Amino acid sequence: MLEIKNLHASVDGGREILKGVSLSVKPGEIHAIMGPNGSGKSTLAGILAGRDGYDITAGSVTYQGRDLLGMSPEDRARAGIFLAFQYPVEIPGVNNMYFLRMALNATRKARGENELDAGQFLKTVRAKLKLLEIEDDLLQRGVNVGFSGGEKKRNEIFQMAMLEPKLAILDETDSGLDIDALRVVSNGINKLRAPDRAVVMITHYQRLLDYVAPDFVHVLSEGRIVRSGDKSLAAELEKTGYVGVGA
Amino acid sequence: MAVTKDAAPYLEAFRPDAGEPSWLAEARRKALAAFGERGFPTRREEAWRFTNLRPLSETFFPPVRPGPASAGARTPAGVPFPTYRLVFVNGVLQADAGAMPKGVWLGSLKNALALNRGWVRAAIDPSDVAGGQPLTALNAALFADGFALSLDAGITLDRPIEIVHVADADAPVSIHARHLIVLAPGSSATLIETHAGAGFYWTNQVTQVLLGEGASLNYTHLQDESDKSLHLGTVRADLGKSSNFQHFSLTLGALLSRESVFVKLGESAKVNVSGAYLQRGDQDATHAVVIDHAAPGATTRELFKGVLDGRAHGAFLGTIRVREGAQQTDARQTSRAILLSDRASVDTKPELEILADDVKCAHGAAVGDLDKESLFYLRARGIGEVEARRLLIEAFLLDAAESVEPPALREYVASQVRGWLGGRR
Repeated sequence: MLEIKNLHASVDGGREILKGVSLSVKPGEIHAIMGPNGSGKSTLAGILAGRDGYDITAGSVTYQGRDLLGMSPEDRARAGIFLAFQYPVEIPGVNNMYFLRMALNATRKARGENELDAGQFLKTVRAKLKLLEIEDDLLQRGVNVGFSGGEKKRNEIFQMAMLEPKLAILDETDSGLDIDALRVVSNGINKLRAPDRAVVMITHYQRLLDYVAPDFVHVLSEGRIVRSGDKSLAAELEKTGYVGVGA
Repeated sequence: MAVTKDAAPYLEAFRPDAGEPSWLAEARRKALAAFGERGFPTRREEAWRFTNLRPLSETFFPPVRPGPASAGARTPAGVPFPTYRLVFVNGVLQADAGAMPKGVWLGSLKNALALNRGWVRAAIDPSDVAGGQPLTALNAALFADGFALSLDAGITLDRPIEIVHVADADAPVSIHARHLIVLAPGSSATLIETHAGAGFYWTNQVTQVLLGEGASLNYTHLQDESDKSLHLGTVRADLGKSSNFQHFSLTLGALLSRESVFVKLGESAKVNVSGAYLQRGDQDATHAVVIDHAAPGATTRELFKGVLDGRAHGAFLGTIRVREGAQQTDARQTSRAILLSDRASVDTKPELEILADDVKCAHGAAVGDLDKESLFYLRARGIGEVEARRLLIEAFLLDAAESVEPPALREYVASQVRGWLGGRR
């Protein structure tokens, strides 16, 4: 599904942040990418979703056989890639519901599916809201406007549940969540698990992995994946810290 | 006294109306003389630095002669909800609102002046004859008609008032219209004024607003004049104690436009002057707001948002004066613009003159592009770049229309903005 080969990237005209990352993700798998601050985790997430401001100096990324790096952010989203933002943006004046319906219909249209009418859309929204324990009235506001940190993260997972991506990239979705919110968000992620979908979770801490069990754990350090393993690697990290695994 | 060259033809065009009350006839004569001495404002004057009135000194726009509307004049469909509606074509009342509830006077200012009721005296401002503002002086001398609204104390209208101005000119003409709004204590009204037209003409209008104690006026102005026209509008509002004035302008049309709003605040009065301007091609739009905090405890909110494309130019001039003794003044002014092209430009000039010590005054101005991270967020959800930009621009502009009432009018304003962004015009 996703093939990252020897990816080198730097911030525009600046220092190199990714120094040869390779990663292969197959449908149905959940990968956790862990690492200390500044290891390049968020850069990797940004590059996969098509954020501006990076120079790819070497390597390649293919997604479902296509050259991902040549695609616009909207084309990636329509092809099933979803990035849950570490810092979801507040957009005053753009109504949450309106935005979400536009996003959903853009994706559906690209897949050759019918656009949802207001009634069908509302029905889907209601069901997913319940899953993520989000109050109706939050959706009547501007996108993320006046949301608490936890509400913003829940809104990201709610959007993910609505858009039903093939590849979800979660950028520190667990940071800033209390234990109840973490449970709700994890539940949302687990509900998305399916044989034809994959999830890449980027996190600093091990605790998310107690709720969402990964198939693979990778340690990113100074722009390289220095170790890969199964779930037990996360437990080892918990004991020894990043230093203990050579990061 | 000498008469300036570009003013001379307007003086010659002046025709006194024997049927008018003598106080008005005298005011007109004095105002005409004041305009003759001053002539048109030039860019050498600080308040007109960013507005180039050269077309007015190059072309004489004879005052339009009252007459039946030509076949070409199309009356816009108007707002999609019930209103008390007046239609003016080339400054002449074509359709009135019909019977009004008791305690409400709504109709032609010319008729109100002929009846010479006490409240119509406010149609002329002392500054019209003093000559400080040449364009309003010229308007005082030449205005043919306009609308007049008067509400008795405590009256709230059940529907908004809609004033539709249509201009239709196949040769250059000037339309001098004067309007008067007098709200007695405790009364309130919502007013929607629209300007549309075809051809090469100059609209020079003045609106006098007088709010009694606790009165409230929500005033929305939609300027969508012909793209060859000039539109110069002046609103002068005198706010009584604890009164409330909301003024919003949407500026889409005219080749050259200037919307000036002067507000004098009484004790604990509240004013919100906001606007959104969307200009492209060679269009040029100025918004000039002068707020006079003449008494304590009053509140000012100003929010202007502009989007400029092509070679368009925009300007915002905002003066807030806090007089000695106007303690507990609370004033906030914000002006933001987005430039969609390298050749578009904007000038902003905030000016605070504060002579009291216990006041809160803040102003901010910014010119830039759309927020990159917001744009990426929308695109990362599958919304195409063009659509995402449009969504963000719309949100940016409509932020200034938050005070527009009723909600159906806010939605109408939004639809006008979407129309412009969709490439209309």
